[in-house]
Amino acid sequence: MDRNQISKWLTAPGKMAHKYSLNAVYFCTGCGIIEIPPVITARWDAERFGVIPVATPRQGNLFMITGYVSVKTLKAIIRTYEQMPDPKYTVGFGSCPINGGMYWDSYNTAKHVDKYIPIDGWIAGCMPRPEAVFIGVTHLWTLIDKGMANGYERYRRNYAQYRRNQEMLFGDLGWPPRYPIEDGGSGGGK
Amino acid sequence: MSDALKKGIETTFRNSSVEAPGKDRVMVSVPPESVPTVLHYLREKGFDHLTMVSCVDRPDDGELEMVYILSSYTNDPRLHVTVKARIRREGGGVETVKGVFPNAEPYEREIHELFGADFPGHGRLIPLFLEREYDIPPFRKDFDSRKYVEETFDSIPAVEGD
Repeated sequence: MDRNQISKWLTAPGKMAHKYSLNAVYFCTGCGIIEIPPVITARWDAERFGVIPVATPRQGNLFMITGYVSVKTLKAIIRTYEQMPDPKYTVGFGSCPINGGMYWDSYNTAKHVDKYIPIDGWIAGCMPRPEAVFIGVTHLWTLIDKGMANGYERYRRNYAQYRRNQEMLFGDLGWPPRYPIEDGGSGGGK
Repeated sequence: MSDALKKGIETTFRNSSVEAPGKDRVMVSVPPESVPTVLHYLREKGFDHLTMVSCVDRPDDGELEMVYILSSYTNDPRLHVTVKARIRREGGGVETVKGVFPNAEPYEREIHELFGADFPGHGRLIPLFLEREYDIPPFRKDFDSRKYVEETFDSIPAVEGD
């Protein structure tokens, strides 16, 4: 362990623990997931960085959206995101979750994922190399250190807006149930 | 093989037109009501694999062209037969072939969903991929995807206050 990190461990042990135990939900969206097996296996061994894939959303705290998000997948993404325990970090991987990418005029692809769930960081590229995942992870460490990876807090704070956007696309969402929403957009739900 | 097959189809189905554009290709154009019969005939001739069912939108003619591609495990595997049938764009349908080739079922559901063609006798034309209702089936050429994206996705506001 790096010697000058000892003070961080003593002052904010929770943050340090979250940083080095990023359990990625193994949720396969689109084509970007093909970069994840090399990341987690021997060649680039993501466990050096504390990133391991987990089977269920209830064990995970890192959600990588790895590719284009069709409308049907977005429903599953919302369900998965709602099942993950706090604190949870979301990373958009590739250009398609950012603005649609090459699916910019597709009839069935949600273009901006951050309209529906909060995103803490983006990894640009089509598709990003496995090295870019590690750069993204180290950036995420910095954000966690500074308290800026606060997507789950923003989701609670602006839950009314996120839920409104989700329902604009899907009509009535069967699950998750609506949390109590106050009027006015922000300030509700917490 | 393809010459004998061409002759066989022409003599059996009077209202079909057969051409052989290449050495290993046979293309059969038939009226839509005789599609199951023709596929059954070809299956008896050894074409035991329905590779795919596809559809082409022909808005200038007001027609949808159904395309059935068959290949064979028992005959020469390079030989492919393409069966084409044209139906009306609005309210047209071609009888299901899932009695002949059971793997046609998801193809027909897909075409029903994306092109709006009807398949009488299918019995299970429920949504397959799409989550939303579309005024025009999205694979038709008069479906303006840019306009649809602007109305549906771009009109959703970004979340403020982050």
